[in-house]
Amino acid sequence: MITFTINGKEVQGEEGQYILDVAKKSGIEIPTLCHHEALEPAGMCRLCTVELFDGRKTKFVTACNYPIWEGMEVFTDTESVTEGRKLIVELLLARCPDVPLLKDLGLKYGIQEPRFAPEGDDCILCGLCVRICEKMGNNAISFTGRGVEMKVDTPFHVQTEFCMGCGSCASVCPTGHIKLEDIAVHQVKPIPSEYDMGLTGRKPIYVPYAQAIPNTPAIDRDVCMHFKTGGCQVCTEFCGVDAIDHLQQDETIELEVGSIILAPGFQPFDPSKLTHYGYGRHPNVMTAMEFERILSASGPTLGHLTRPSDGREPGKIAWIQCVGSREEHHCDHAYCSSVCCMYAIKEAVIAKEHAGADLDCTIFFMDIRTHGKDFERFYDDARNKHGVRFIRSRVPAVETVRGRDELSITYVNERMTPTTESFDLVVLSVGMETPEALTELANRLDIDLTAGHFCDSPSFHPVATSREGVFVCGAFAGPKDIPQSVVEASSAAAEAGALLKEARNTLTKQETFPEERVIAGERPRIGVFVCQCGINIGGVVDVPQVRDYAASLPYVEYVTDNLYTCSQDTQEVISKVISENNLNRIVVAACTPKTHEPLFQETLVAAGLNKYLFEMTNIRNQDSWVHKNDPQMATEKARDLVRMAVAKVALMEPLVETELEINQRALVVGAGISGMASAMSLSDQGYEVCLVEREPFPGGQGSLLFRTWKGEDVQMNLSQMIDKVQSDPNIDLRLNTELAGVEGFVGNFKTTLSREGHEEQVEHGVAVIATGAFEGKPHEYLYGEDDRVLTHLELDQRFIRNDPALKEMKSAVFIQCVGSREPDRPYCSRVCCTHAMESALHLKELNPEMRVVVLYRDIRTYGEREYLYRDARMAGVLFIPYTVDRKPQVFLHEGSLKIQVMDPLLGRDVALTADLLCLASAIVPYRDETLAQMFKVPMNEDGFFVEAHAKLGPSEFATDGVFLCGMNHYPKPIDESIAQALAAASRAVTLLARGTVRMSGTVAQTDPGMCSSCGVCLAICPYSAPAVLEKGPFAGKIEINPALCKGCGLCVASCRSGALNLKGFGENQIMAMINEI
Amino acid sequence: MGAVDLDQCDPDFVNELLQQPEAEKISACFGCRTCVAGCPMSAVNDTFNPARIIRMALYGMKEEILKSSFIWLCSSCYTCQERCPQGVRITDFMTLLKNMAVKEGHEPAGVKAQLKLTKGQGRIYPLDGFDNKKRKKAGLPPLPTSCDVIRELFPDQV
Repeated sequence: MITFTINGKEVQGEEGQYILDVAKKSGIEIPTLCHHEALEPAGMCRLCTVELFDGRKTKFVTACNYPIWEGMEVFTDTESVTEGRKLIVELLLARCPDVPLLKDLGLKYGIQEPRFAPEGDDCILCGLCVRICEKMGNNAISFTGRGVEMKVDTPFHVQTEFCMGCGSCASVCPTGHIKLEDIAVHQVKPIPSEYDMGLTGRKPIYVPYAQAIPNTPAIDRDVCMHFKTGGCQVCTEFCGVDAIDHLQQDETIELEVGSIILAPGFQPFDPSKLTHYGYGRHPNVMTAMEFERILSASGPTLGHLTRPSDGREPGKIAWIQCVGSREEHHCDHAYCSSVCCMYAIKEAVIAKEHAGADLDCTIFFMDIRTHGKDFERFYDDARNKHGVRFIRSRVPAVETVRGRDELSITYVNERMTPTTESFDLVVLSVGMETPEALTELANRLDIDLTAGHFCDSPSFHPVATSREGVFVCGAFAGPKDIPQSVVEASSAAAEAGALLKEARNTLTKQETFPEERVIAGERPRIGVFVCQCGINIGGVVDVPQVRDYAASLPYVEYVTDNLYTCSQDTQEVISKVISENNLNRIVVAACTPKTHEPLFQETLVAAGLNKYLFEMTNIRNQDSWVHKNDPQMATEKARDLVRMAVAKVALMEPLVETELEINQRALVVGAGISGMASAMSLSDQGYEVCLVEREPFPGGQGSLLFRTWKGEDVQMNLSQMIDKVQSDPNIDLRLNTELAGVEGFVGNFKTTLSREGHEEQVEHGVAVIATGAFEGKPHEYLYGEDDRVLTHLELDQRFIRNDPALKEMKSAVFIQCVGSREPDRPYCSRVCCTHAMESALHLKELNPEMRVVVLYRDIRTYGEREYLYRDARMAGVLFIPYTVDRKPQVFLHEGSLKIQVMDPLLGRDVALTADLLCLASAIVPYRDETLAQMFKVPMNEDGFFVEAHAKLGPSEFATDGVFLCGMNHYPKPIDESIAQALAAASRAVTLLARGTVRMSGTVAQTDPGMCSSCGVCLAICPYSAPAVLEKGPFAGKIEINPALCKGCGLCVASCRSGALNLKGFGENQIMAMINEI
Repeated sequence: MGAVDLDQCDPDFVNELLQQPEAEKISACFGCRTCVAGCPMSAVNDTFNPARIIRMALYGMKEEILKSSFIWLCSSCYTCQERCPQGVRITDFMTLLKNMAVKEGHEPAGVKAQLKLTKGQGRIYPLDGFDNKKRKKAGLPPLPTSCDVIRELFPDQV
């Protein structure tokens, strides 16, 4: 260590450091222009000149490259130094009068007008660009000429091929003089950020996106300069933990596995080849993915809705649907991408939220496909509440408007004539497609693909592939949205789990922990660990000061600071410190608990302490990161936060984690296709199942269906399923049986089954509700009044029976949306459009001469079901659209069944006689309130059960241990029902497989003496954890079940008697923290 | 106009149409209106609507289509055929309908007259000395005022 003084103050530095380095660290400001932390100092600008007294005489040296020596006296603010700086700035300002940086420096040093003649240059010859180009290993630019002729230029003063367009020179230039187009021969473009859809650039070393796992940077070898020149490696120099190794090679790893799950996804369709939309030519034509990034707060515009051409806010935005989908002519994608209608509506609604209700959003479509749960309501609200315009007309082209930065779209209005409108921004709702590399991978893996290049699976095994042991989920199995993808993911896990059930737990390692030390009666002995987090915290907060301050707090017996508290070696140090100092409570002041709290808790357990005797306070996200510009206040805030944490943890008591034994049997309610599939999956994974069905036979609605949309025979597959269920030794099938009552909670349910008056209790650990739904009976179109009017299931019966009368029919009419998408039932029944196609095609098969007409509102043959729609049209089936306010008329005329409907394309009514009228009746849920209350699960206003989370928990309830699948969740076809059944089984197995489950110790607890039995906590808890005590001295008061409580604190906040307390966040602890602010 | 009675419409017409290569894909039409949106004729005359014509054909409304004047409005610009997402050969279909109409003798008087003139005189508009005088003034070479070769092409037209 070398000791010397700066301005009389003693400072210390290492051998080899320069004055500037030490001054910076000590907080002494010395101005520089040509200094950069990644480069060796060059002493070019001389602005950092300081006075140096060596004991005898004074000299002037540049602080940036003068090495320190023991005992030197440096002065940075004497009059001569200041006058020198002023002169340098004045000279530079004269040379470059318009450079903002120099103008600011001029203001700082009080220079109004330089005394020297202005030169109009903008380069200060600092040499940063030259030096960094050299560092990059390139040397494309250098100082040329001498004396007053000196300037930075390329060889022979022409654009050079040597420039690699890395942009380093432009990025370090303090004046903005360097222009890449003057240096490089080729066009220099930013590296397009994949996550931001190419709307912004990224560096060769980059973190792909904020939520990337692992959340560490990666180096793109194709553009990293080190791989091109051997130079740079600045990243390696700056990394504090030596994590970067440019010599890393690709590794081929061979793994032996029992099962493979393919989840390779999709890529968005690239609309560049559809030249009539102008994508790639007009800057204001963008894809929906790009629009998502613009709307996103973490995107290139930080969520500000502006258009690319001029950065202005758009007043009118148009969405064009079906770009790259349902399109056979210009690209090979005849399928429907399933999600674009919904995402376009969502984008329009959110855009209006961002920009204000005045924003004109118009969606041009062929059919609106909002066939998911709650999606139809969203569509209704978009129209009625948010004012989004919907126009039924596909758009052929996007054109420019002469003289104006607008885009023009010609479409067909209600009068069936073309109209033109201008828009500020056009969003192309691009579809999904399988990337070519993925098609090749599928071929290599011997996986059969469909016509649309998606993975082919049979309806009764929706996540299976053509290769045994390889399963599939997500968009690769067909375009689909998030809820459906998540269902398939769990489903694939269940299939893999069934295959590998024998090997369960054979490769897991059990960790052993030391006995937990009893600390009752001990005085608190707290250890405080303050983290530097590299420079994240240490660069702003004075960590040593905070550490020393912590030592002064009551009960603190040990303090230290660490560079990275989360590193493995620090854990060992913490363990040692705990035992050496007999600590019984720990505070870590570092990043957010979300990153490393579990790690530290594990360290405590390994050292023999209860893991709840730990408090983590966030001095990074909540301090150093947000107060970068005020290190003094940031340090003070860190001291406050540590003081509060110490106060809280001093009052912390060890908490007990309830261990729950999970009864290994499952109960499945409902033996339709979903219930049976769930039971079979649970059995295949090694568990006993009690399968309860109230009808005398299994099969549910499946017994009424003819064929799946892929043409599979339902009855044949169904009877195979029933045979398997009946012969499976793990499955106890109870027909004619209903549920009389349910007691208990997750892991310990006791359900009473009732059969013909006889009751029996069954104990089970989990329950799957698969109670299904049924086909509603229509109240219109002469249904029930004429034999010729049928529902889809009634027609299917005729198909199954192979009714010979069908062949003789001359004319059949289908009416869609009968009872669905109406004010009293505002949801879509999802399956009917596809079902109508199958039935229509079957009728045409029986009698090709039959006239078959389908009257519809929107055709919702999503995914590859779209092929059926085309097949139907090509087979001669006619399709006539109608609107809900002008429904078709069905009446009898001289004994004939007549139908009349307005054809909007014709502009006239169309009338026909039908020998058969088939109504797509709505799927109606059973609305079994009794069952819902038995399991304490919620139901929505339509009568369908409410899942834990629409996207992330579609097959489970918020109430632990209870799962759902099938049509009681929402109408769905067979393949989706089976997928969800397997998903429910998979989620249930996560509990069953563990045998015992440890529930968190931070749960709410009642003091029954204070409880006033008001019941507010009962009503407010989403997890059904509070229950009324039946017996004992506190009967009538509330008790919280620690097995169900999630520690959310809602009940604690709502209790007006103060009877509830949240362990780990006790009232005394919170008050202690508040008192310390 | 009154309702279209599908029971009265001609199924043979539809079958006949579907046999022709130009019309083989018209069933694929799903009424997206891309053709109408791009059609320059629809923009100025709403009696011409390619999607409506295809629908009328699929309904079997033979008389209405073949006797109509609107099928003759198609300018053969090919915008619709180029943009149709289902690959329906709309323009070629219009040409097919025009040909069928002529076979049944339903072509409009103007078209009939044009046909007669072209076959008889070799041209639609007469060219005489007056026109050649104007051409001479503009420095253009004269053109023949009669087209006798047409008699060899269409010997039975007089």
